[in-house]
Amino acid sequence: MGQVRDEEIGEPVAALGAAEPTSTIIGRTPWQIFWMRFRKDRVAVGAGVFLIALALLAITAPLIAHDLVHHDPNALFRDTLDEIGLPTVGPSAEFWFGVDTSGRDVFVRTIYGARTSLLVALLSTGFAVVLGILLGSLAGYLGGWVDTVVSRAIDLTLSLPVLLFSIGIAATCSITAEGCLGGLIQPGISLVTAIIALFTWPYIGRIVRGQVLTIRNKEFIEAARAMGAGTGRILLRDVLPNLAAPIIVYGTLIIPSNILFEAALSFLGVGIPPTTPSWGRMISDAARGQLYTVAWWMLFFPGMALVLTTLAFNLVGDGLRDALDPRTQVSG
Amino acid sequence: MIRYIVRRLLWVLVTLLLITFLTYLIFFVMPPVHPEVIFAGKQPTPELVAEVRRQFGLDKPVVIQYALFVKRIFLGDEYGWPGLGFSFNTRSALKPIIYERFLITLQLALGAAVLWLVVGVPIGILSALRPRSILDRLAMGFALFGVSTPVFFLGPVMLYVFWFKLGWLPGSGFYSIAKYGVGTWFVHMIMPWSVLALAFAAFYARMTRGNLIEVMGEDYIRTARAKGLPERTVVAKHGLRASLTPVVTMLGLDLGGLLGGALITETVFNLQGLGNYAVQSVFSGDLYAILDVTIIAAFAVTLANLIVDIVYAFLDPRVRYT
Amino acid sequence: MKRYVVLVGLLASLALVATACGGGGGPTETGPTGATGGIPTGGILREETTDFGFTNAFDPTGEYLGTAWAIYGNFLLRGLVSYPWLPGEKGGNEPVPDLATDLGEVSADGLTITFTLKDGVMWQPPLNRPVTSQDVAFAFQRINTKSLIAQYGNYYCGTIVGMDCEGKSQEDPIEGIETPDDKTIIFHLERPTGDFLYRLAQPAAAPIPPEVAGCFDKAGEYGRYVMSNGPYMLLGSDELDISSCDTLEPIKGYDPDKFMYVVRNPNYDQATDENRKNYIDGWSYVINTNLDDIYNRVLNGEIDLAHGAPPAAILQQYLTNPDLQDNLKTNSGDRTWYLTMNLIVPPFDDIHVRKAANFVVDKAAMLQATGGPTTGEIATTIEPPTVLPDLADYDPYPSPNHAGDVEAAKAEMAQSKYDKNGDGVCDDPVCDNVLMINRNYEPWTEYTPILTENFKQIGINLKVRELDVSTAYTTIQTMSNLIPIAANAGWGKDYASPFGFDYFLFSTAGLSCEGAVNYSNIGLDEELAKECGDEVYEAWKAATDNGRNPLPNVDADMEACVAKPFGPEYNACWADLDRKIMEEIVPWVPYRWGSQNTVLADTVVAWEYDQSAGWTAYSRTAVNNGLTMDEVAQV
Repeated sequence: MGQVRDEEIGEPVAALGAAEPTSTIIGRTPWQIFWMRFRKDRVAVGAGVFLIALALLAITAPLIAHDLVHHDPNALFRDTLDEIGLPTVGPSAEFWFGVDTSGRDVFVRTIYGARTSLLVALLSTGFAVVLGILLGSLAGYLGGWVDTVVSRAIDLTLSLPVLLFSIGIAATCSITAEGCLGGLIQPGISLVTAIIALFTWPYIGRIVRGQVLTIRNKEFIEAARAMGAGTGRILLRDVLPNLAAPIIVYGTLIIPSNILFEAALSFLGVGIPPTTPSWGRMISDAARGQLYTVAWWMLFFPGMALVLTTLAFNLVGDGLRDALDPRTQVSG
Repeated sequence: MIRYIVRRLLWVLVTLLLITFLTYLIFFVMPPVHPEVIFAGKQPTPELVAEVRRQFGLDKPVVIQYALFVKRIFLGDEYGWPGLGFSFNTRSALKPIIYERFLITLQLALGAAVLWLVVGVPIGILSALRPRSILDRLAMGFALFGVSTPVFFLGPVMLYVFWFKLGWLPGSGFYSIAKYGVGTWFVHMIMPWSVLALAFAAFYARMTRGNLIEVMGEDYIRTARAKGLPERTVVAKHGLRASLTPVVTMLGLDLGGLLGGALITETVFNLQGLGNYAVQSVFSGDLYAILDVTIIAAFAVTLANLIVDIVYAFLDPRVRYT
Repeated sequence: MKRYVVLVGLLASLALVATACGGGGGPTETGPTGATGGIPTGGILREETTDFGFTNAFDPTGEYLGTAWAIYGNFLLRGLVSYPWLPGEKGGNEPVPDLATDLGEVSADGLTITFTLKDGVMWQPPLNRPVTSQDVAFAFQRINTKSLIAQYGNYYCGTIVGMDCEGKSQEDPIEGIETPDDKTIIFHLERPTGDFLYRLAQPAAAPIPPEVAGCFDKAGEYGRYVMSNGPYMLLGSDELDISSCDTLEPIKGYDPDKFMYVVRNPNYDQATDENRKNYIDGWSYVINTNLDDIYNRVLNGEIDLAHGAPPAAILQQYLTNPDLQDNLKTNSGDRTWYLTMNLIVPPFDDIHVRKAANFVVDKAAMLQATGGPTTGEIATTIEPPTVLPDLADYDPYPSPNHAGDVEAAKAEMAQSKYDKNGDGVCDDPVCDNVLMINRNYEPWTEYTPILTENFKQIGINLKVRELDVSTAYTTIQTMSNLIPIAANAGWGKDYASPFGFDYFLFSTAGLSCEGAVNYSNIGLDEELAKECGDEVYEAWKAATDNGRNPLPNVDADMEACVAKPFGPEYNACWADLDRKIMEEIVPWVPYRWGSQNTVLADTVVAWEYDQSAGWTAYSRTAVNNGLTMDEVAQV
């Protein structure tokens, strides 16, 4: 079955190569070669630097907010609003990115939004990768009914109307304080992370399965098997290390799509708690009631933060792929 | 071959059943909204709620409800075939509503598809023919920007610029051809089409470029060139044909995916398509409406997959059926 | 746009109603273009909304959306009595004869009321017959039928002899309703009921033709077949094939997902009707899911009217542009918006915390966030002064400019068991992650940051869930959810009466496991708490010290007020009860008395507000757009 993508939440750019497993990368001194090649890709390095700066900004957001700007993310400066609650202060010395309709500092909320975005995207990608590796390698290595079940699960998940199901699950789990699944999934960041991971693991799972299939019958695996190594040991010691490269590449390329996924859920008003700054929610606040016609800054700054971050992850992911995959050298 | 198709058809059926059952589990067993309580009104006493539950057919065990739902889909219900049930909110048949909204989604999806093909594929080709040129770099920059810009940001930005500031295009909303004529319909669709198409165009450009570069390195291209064919012919006759096959495949899948509703585009531009309807239904607990949209979306996707696989099988003799 | 008139009232005072409703800006008989005298007839009034929002699929027997009431009353249904379609200060809440010749003849013991029907009131085609007393009786039989889920059963069941709202079939006659001939109807009551006229004025009590409605025995189904005895009818309803139930097809002029069109009813005789002016030739009500677009279209004159406050960006234009100021109408909505606190869930199980909440909320900011003064006034108590004028100056939790008094709040908090060190900031773990339910659209979403910051000042950290309006209601109605505090709730009148405002909200009659509208659980006793599940029972035991310290109960106070004669004494009793609730029980933080906004295009040359439904009085509105239904309707 081909790659199924969901319109607007953006799809992993990895999808391009995902339909057919690419050849395994077994370098001679792989990490050194990789680093040399990656370093030459100035755009990717620039994007990487941007991401590191963003991460620093996100980590130090409370310090910046409290000690530099002196505005907390939820502090209300209601005297910046007019009688009917419209913001009157745009980008200025006091409020760098202006204020929103509650009189909150858009700059501070934008850098706090980076925390939410990065946290959710990294966590959900992490879970998706772990789940994908686990199920994908089991399916590829064991074959038989395990492979059938996992492959069908992957196909099925990819055929689901992802956003609709996400909204449904998020809404279901958000009504009571306990969340759902007996309190296992709490409304808020953990819920959003779980939902995103649930719908992204198949991308990794499919790639891992394909890779495992191709190396399952290589001599070194058969040798290990002949020496009496168990399934778990072979997977951990012999198979997985050979999957590191593609997993890193596709993992990196899934991060930006997960950032957009989180933002889309927040835009639709499900998932992240309302007072937690989130770029998707900020964009949705600005979009409703044509507020951007009165306060363009409410739309522009969180939106640009979102686009630039997504772009940077895509650039780094592309760079990583080019650096790790010798084939792409031709196409540059 | 026939056996393969039959097997795939069976799998389509199983997928549809599984998807609808999952939908049932999520929305009926642990519903985010209890429609029967809403409909029972201001004083929803347990007796009233039970009465509404009975009228809605929600009083039976879930498995029975699900079986009845499947039966209605295949055999039709009081509103005709296929039995899509009724809306809890309006007490009227869902079939005409779904049909009408599907048409709007179809207009959005088809228009956007034309646009992203017209924009994405030529960009990809030009880039591939001059790799690492300025044009290529610009094009690939555009492509990366495209896949990084979400519809829900691009939509309001375009509205701000082209509707509010410049006044070149009308604002959001759907204006049907039947009611307002082709011109009005068209100008209102320009922004939704463009916004929806951008990410796809970017993606298609990257894909076309990658494929074409790869194909142009193949031996038979070298052979063709060696025969002294003009470069135009080599590219058009040999290169493009091979490199566009995956594009056609992808087009089928993407269209299939969109027919279940382009939820965010429809929300941003207030188009009354399936996606928009599904979101409203989730929030208001109109369970059969959710189920119907899910089934259409899943059907479109699985069917597109099937068609693509079969077409692929014809196009590429290396694919084996087991 | 979507407006739920949430709940029920009984026993109103005519005197009260006549003087009460002065809130909001005064509407005028003339429209924005200032046409006076000769009001033009003809044209189509074009209105759009994001969602009809009907609560019972437009079946009059169960429908309780204010909009639907305006549609029934102005266009389609003439009950024995109805309202004059005027604002409150012009008597808009006072029942007047409509289908009946007068306001009825009441027997000396108050137990029998007799009405005579006017001659010349006909059903629309294809029925083409006079309205009879049996049609009125049939409406009551429908109310009494359990499967039709009438929302106002409590007005009639237990009041009219033989009505229990448990009826099996709508064909079953009601013992206490007599129809000796086609023109006479006699109601026999269980006890004297001073406000019986108000109850008769409800749309559910208007006549319904058994030929058509008798075919539909499930809730809401008749909504697509509503027959008119009023000045207008649904477009295409005259083509209904009434030869049998099987030949009935839904009326083509009403599509619940798209539009409703009404046109003139050829069988209507203006001579029988003193209150409806019927200037327009028809009304088109179309769903446009794009709220901004609706208001843009009103501004451009592409449609004539829209209800509800425009989004702030558009509201600004109406407030600042002198040419537009007259096109925005503000009238009293007779409703209160409030936070509700749960008496059995910490930290609000402590009255000092609830009082602190009343002090700490910045009501001025909430009004500003709603869209400023056009959207209402700051509420200081339960009932708006338009319903209970006795409380006009009552403000038990005052603060400078209504912006909240943190010091007073801290002083209250310091007395609570959750502030152990007495510094006015809650230091108990129960104050962390206190769940608050809210709606998921503006202006409610704007309240989230304000309330979160306000409550933080007294140490309460709110964890807010924003939900769809219906979901939010069902969530707080389900007792076992044990929602500590909610900001989604509002309460509007059915008809102006203090009793209507208080009865179900605060009495044990409003308590049940799944559908409690007494969200605060006032008067919850051990028996019901047990019935509603272990969680509720445990919470109840914790909040009442195992029952040793029962929850406050106002049932007896309400009975006492009901027994008072209408007039000042009656009002004073309710006012005292409101004070008691606000000071000794404190279940709410009332923050806004909402108004109803309407925006008009310049094509509207006469406009009036109907206080009874809180909506445009369509039967007194005129346009000069010269359109015909053929040009407007897209069926």
